[in-house]
Amino acid sequence: MNIKKAIFIFALLITLFLFSTIILIGDYFSGKREARINQMGSDMYNNLNEMQTFMLMSEIYGDAMACLAFKSKLQKLDKSVWDLGMKIDQYRVAGEEFQKDPFYLQEKKTFNENEVFYLMLLSKIKKHCNYNQAIVSFFYKNSEDCKKCDDQSFVLTDIKKAAEKEVSIFSFDTDLNLTTITLMTEYYAIDAYPCIVIGTQKYCGMQDKRFILDKLCQTSNLTFCGNH
Amino acid sequence: MNVVYNAAVYIVFILSTYFVVLISLVMFVYKDRLHEKKKPLTHYPTVSVIVPAFNEEHKIAETIVSLQQVVYPKIEFIVVNDGSSDGTSTVVRKAIEHDVRFSFIDRKENKGKAASLNEGISHAKGEFVACMDADSVVEPDIFSKALPYFDEANVGAVTVSVELKNPKTILQKIIDIEYIIGLSLFLKLFSIYNCVFVTPGPFSIYRRNMLHEIGCFDPKNITEDHEIAYRIHKHGYAIANCHHAKVYTITPDTFKGIYVQRRRWYSGAIQTLLQHRDIIFNKKLGVFGYFAPFNYVLVGSGLLLFYASTYLTISRLLETLWHYHYTNYNFFDHLFDFHFDILAISRIYLVGFFAFLFTLFIMVAGLKMTGKHFSEKKVGLLGFPYMFFLYQLFWSGAIFAVLRGKNVKWR
Repeated sequence: MNIKKAIFIFALLITLFLFSTIILIGDYFSGKREARINQMGSDMYNNLNEMQTFMLMSEIYGDAMACLAFKSKLQKLDKSVWDLGMKIDQYRVAGEEFQKDPFYLQEKKTFNENEVFYLMLLSKIKKHCNYNQAIVSFFYKNSEDCKKCDDQSFVLTDIKKAAEKEVSIFSFDTDLNLTTITLMTEYYAIDAYPCIVIGTQKYCGMQDKRFILDKLCQTSNLTFCGNH
Repeated sequence: MNVVYNAAVYIVFILSTYFVVLISLVMFVYKDRLHEKKKPLTHYPTVSVIVPAFNEEHKIAETIVSLQQVVYPKIEFIVVNDGSSDGTSTVVRKAIEHDVRFSFIDRKENKGKAASLNEGISHAKGEFVACMDADSVVEPDIFSKALPYFDEANVGAVTVSVELKNPKTILQKIIDIEYIIGLSLFLKLFSIYNCVFVTPGPFSIYRRNMLHEIGCFDPKNITEDHEIAYRIHKHGYAIANCHHAKVYTITPDTFKGIYVQRRRWYSGAIQTLLQHRDIIFNKKLGVFGYFAPFNYVLVGSGLLLFYASTYLTISRLLETLWHYHYTNYNFFDHLFDFHFDILAISRIYLVGFFAFLFTLFIMVAGLKMTGKHFSEKKVGLLGFPYMFFLYQLFWSGAIFAVLRGKNVKWR
């Protein structure tokens, strides 16, 4: 083969090498992303277990001590839960190119289960310790079945950013068919999406920021209530 | 749509990477040929220079002055007025009145550039015929540099480096870089594999016998300098490039002007490919037979990428604006909330980064080839990567014009 022809073959090999390099770097990043999600999920689970331990301790040592411990842990846990939810979405978008990644589907399930766990703990702690923490539960379906769910998610993210420490927001993907989430949808008789629950009251259909802030301020005494 | 977008990114990346790697290898393996200078002429064949002109009263005088300064013993100049409605005829007559080397064909009827060139060729006496645009200027030693490239009998045409004359606007400075890359660096590299696809209108030299053999220029084609290159290859001739001989030309100074020009070029290119579709994968034509389809697959996938990314960008923008409508357009509270996370970088971003490096490499190679410095071309260099978007607009306009059967004229 003369050199003129060999160049074409050699160029093809170099091109494939460069392309493979990108694929491999992508795979390396993908592995790192999964490890990060696993680590964050594990931290969240440990924190939830610790909260549960506090709860049991409160029954033996009394509410006063347990409430102090809860308070010190609560904000950290609340932030880590929110961050994990965001990271799962962010990394899923970065990793998925041509098909859905089963890792993120599984992580989403685990995350939702832990969210339910955290919601229950928080509701109980709120009652026991008289915490001024507003709780919003957001029930959604995938964007093909629920055109407004993305809009509602955006509004809730905006509220969370504005009142990070005072409002806990839980997002539940009803398409995952988790028993715990199904139980909650039945309890609140949710029949339309998106749907949010503030306190014990449900508001199905798209709600804008002003409406949600109004409802939050009616149920909790939050610092931004005088301003909005 | 995400899948279409991702697929287009990978196709464009693989094709353009292959192209960049290939030209890099050619530059490396044939580095001696890149800067080769042929032996000086020992005898001086007669040369005829044909300058077709249509409404060029403001530019042609400078072109004639540059031709009068050409240092070559056996030369004739034929200016063909293509039925100009301005003062071109008067300007030409005045400029050539004391120079017997010039003859002037003052046609009242406008027949188009190719017809004007053919008329000039029919009057030409030279062994070689140079065709030159009436808005371009040449260096005085262009023939002593370029004619030695006809040293091989199968060379039917010789192209030179085309550079922009005094680029002023940002767009012109960007196109200046495009010319340095496309009409200097690439022409030389393509000539090594005999797949030069154009004999640029600003200045190219042809064997007169070959022009008669292939039937001169096609008056029905709006990019006659592109179409003739196909026929030169089909008749078994090669097109060489003398990169150290230069012609300086102009380009429109407005976006609209550039758009109209490119729409003509690209619709002419499509017209030419359809006219000569028998060249596709034609083994007799060597690399040239594969170059055109490769080029058009790249253009097609570039268009697919452009439209997919435009659709995604606009739909996400509208979606975000709609989201803000529910938060009373709260744009500014979280403007600086962005936290960089290296793990959130997807393969698509890596592909984009590599593509940027390739563009940088080509620009540096073009500068090195033409002996330019970064400091004198920095505006164009910074703007050149954005040409990708403009190419898609130009190609879209050209495809639309071809589909509509619109008659795009050369002026």
